[in-house]
Amino acid sequence: MRPSSSILHALGLCAVIIFSMFPFYWMVTASFKTQTDILASPPLWFFMPTLDNYRAIFADSKVIGAVGNSLIVASCTTALAVLLGAPAAYALARFEFRGKGDLWFWFISNRMISPIVLALPVYILAMQARLLDTHLVLILIYLTFNLPIVVWICTDQFKSIPSDLEQAARLDGADQFTIFRKIYLPLGAPGIAVSAIFSFIFSWNELLYALVLTRKNVQTAPVVATSFMSGYELPWGKIMATGTVIVLPVTIFALIVSRHMVRGLTMGATK
Amino acid sequence: MSFLKLEGIKKTFGDIEVIKGVSFAAEKGEFVVFVGPSGCGKSTLLRMIAGLEDVSDGKLAIENRDVTYEEPAKREVSMVFQSYALYPHMSVFENMAFGLRMNKQPEDQIKARVLEAARILQIEPLLERKPRALSGGQRQRVAIGRSIVRNPKIFLFDEPLSNLDAELRTQMRVEIAKLHHNLGATMVYVTHDQVEAMTLADRIVVLRAGLVEQIGTPTELYDHPANIFVAGFIGSPKMNFLQAKAESDGKVLKLAHPAFTGGVLTLPTPKAAKVKNGDTVTVGLRPEHLALSSAKPLLSLTLDLQENLGGATQLYARSGGETIIMVAPGRPEIAVGDTIAAGIDPHNIYLFNASGLAL
Repeated sequence: MRPSSSILHALGLCAVIIFSMFPFYWMVTASFKTQTDILASPPLWFFMPTLDNYRAIFADSKVIGAVGNSLIVASCTTALAVLLGAPAAYALARFEFRGKGDLWFWFISNRMISPIVLALPVYILAMQARLLDTHLVLILIYLTFNLPIVVWICTDQFKSIPSDLEQAARLDGADQFTIFRKIYLPLGAPGIAVSAIFSFIFSWNELLYALVLTRKNVQTAPVVATSFMSGYELPWGKIMATGTVIVLPVTIFALIVSRHMVRGLTMGATK
Repeated sequence: MSFLKLEGIKKTFGDIEVIKGVSFAAEKGEFVVFVGPSGCGKSTLLRMIAGLEDVSDGKLAIENRDVTYEEPAKREVSMVFQSYALYPHMSVFENMAFGLRMNKQPEDQIKARVLEAARILQIEPLLERKPRALSGGQRQRVAIGRSIVRNPKIFLFDEPLSNLDAELRTQMRVEIAKLHHNLGATMVYVTHDQVEAMTLADRIVVLRAGLVEQIGTPTELYDHPANIFVAGFIGSPKMNFLQAKAESDGKVLKLAHPAFTGGVLTLPTPKAAKVKNGDTVTVGLRPEHLALSSAKPLLSLTLDLQENLGGATQLYARSGGETIIMVAPGRPEIAVGDTIAAGIDPHNIYLFNASGLAL
C-alpha cells in the first residue's frame, strides 16, 4: 500500500472510531461529573472527577441487584440458546427430513414479528402461569428471540464445514453425536461465539419485556437505569454511572468470546 | 471366494439411475481401479462400497459377509478422499489416531500404530503439525496414513492425486504402488486418469454411464478392448478411428477409406468371417503403433502440426476430413504441409463392428 493511501485509510478509521466511541466517552466522563458540570454549556472538557455518582448507585442496592439479575438472565439465556440451538443447527445443516423447510421458516419467523406486538399476550400468559417477576419468564421469552439467531448463524457455519470431514469421521467409526462434538463444535466455534455474543447482548440490553414482565424482584439493569428517569429531576450522573456499570460485563464477555472468532479455522482440511 | 463382491449393484437418485447394475469381484490383495469419464458413477460406486451411499439394489459382500446395509465403520474399510478430509483442528498425530480412538484402542497401541504408519510414509517430523501447516503432498500422506493405521480390509481411494501438481502426482503414484506392494492390501482406486489406471492396477474396471464397459488387466484392455469406448479411453494419446466400408470374402477384408493408400486397406484376417459386404467397420489405430514408413504405407497423410516432446514427436496429420495422431520417435525431418506415409504392423490394427463392439 502506498503511504498516502494508508494515511487516508488511517484517517477514515479514526473518523469511524470517534463517531462510534464518542457517545461511550461522553457517558463514561459524565458518570464522573457533578450534575452542574454535566449540564454546563458550553460542555466542560476538563473537570474535577468525582466518584459521587458511583457511591450513590452502589449505595442503592437496586443497581447491584439489577446487574445480578441481568447476569443471571443473560447467561442462562445464552447458555440455553447455544445448548439447544447448536444441535438444531447441525440437524438443519446436515440432515434431510420432512418439514425441514417449514421448521427453518418457523425459526426465522420468530424474529419477524415486532416484539411489542406480543408484549400484551405474553404478559397475560405469564400472569396466568404465575411467572411474572421471575428470572424464568425473562429467560423463556429471550430464548424465543435468541434461538433463531443461534440456529441461523450456526446452520450457516456448519454448512461451511466440508461434509467429507463428517464422512471421514463416520468411516473412522464416530457416531452422530461424536461427530457433532468432535468435528462440528470445534470447527463451528466462530459461529457459536458470534451467536453467543448476540444472544448475550440482546438479553443484557432488552428493555421492553423486562419492563412489562418484572416488578420489584427481578428488575434487570436497563429497567433500573430508566427508573431514574422519573419525577421532576433527571439525575444524569447516576444514569451515566449505571450505564457504565451495565456496559462493562457485556464488553468483558465479548472480549473473552471474540478470541474464538478467528476466521479460516477450517483451512487445511481439504485440498 | 472373492474378497470383495458386487452383485447387480444399482443406485438411483430420485428418478435418475446413476449405477445401472454393476457386478464385479476382487481378490484379496488385488489393486482394482475404477476408471471412466466424469459422471460415469465411479465415485458413487466407491462410496457405496464404503457405505457412505445407500445401495438402491443389489448385494455387496466383503470377505463373504453381506455388508450391503452395514454401517460404514463396521465394514472395516478406509477411504482416502479426493479432498483428503483431514480434521483441521487436530494435529497430524490426532488425525491418524482418531479412528483408533473411536475404536477404543489402548493408548500405547494407538501410539505404536500411528508411529509405524508415520514411518512408512516418512511423515514422522510432521506429527505435531496441524493440516494447514502442511503442503499438498504432505496432506496426501497424512490422509493415506489415517487409512493405514486402521489396518482395514480394503483401502478405498477416491481420485486421491487429482489435487496435486504433475510432478508430485507421479511421485505419489509410485508411492501408492509401493505401498500396495508392501502392505499386500486390497485396494480399490477411482480415477479418471487412464495413466494412473494403467500403471497402478492389477485389474481395471472401465465404467461409462453407470455400466461396466470392460473388466480386465491393463494389458488386456490395451490389447483387446471390448469396444470403441474402451479402445478410445485406454491409451494416450487416444486411438485413431476411421470408419470404412467393408467388403469381405470370409478370409480377406477390404476396407475402403480415403485415408488408406490407394483408398483401400486389404487385410487377410479370420475376423473377415464376421463381416458382411457393405458393413461399416471402424478401424482403430494407436498413435504409438503408427510409424513413418514408405515401405508398406497404410495411410497417406498431409502433416498439419508437429509437437516436439523432446524424445519423441507427436504428429497431427490429415487425410480428407480425418485427423490422425501419431507418435514418431526422435525428430523426423518433415515439415508442415508435407505428404507423409504411415505404416503399421497388421497385428496392431483394431476392428470394430457398426455397433462399436470389437470384431
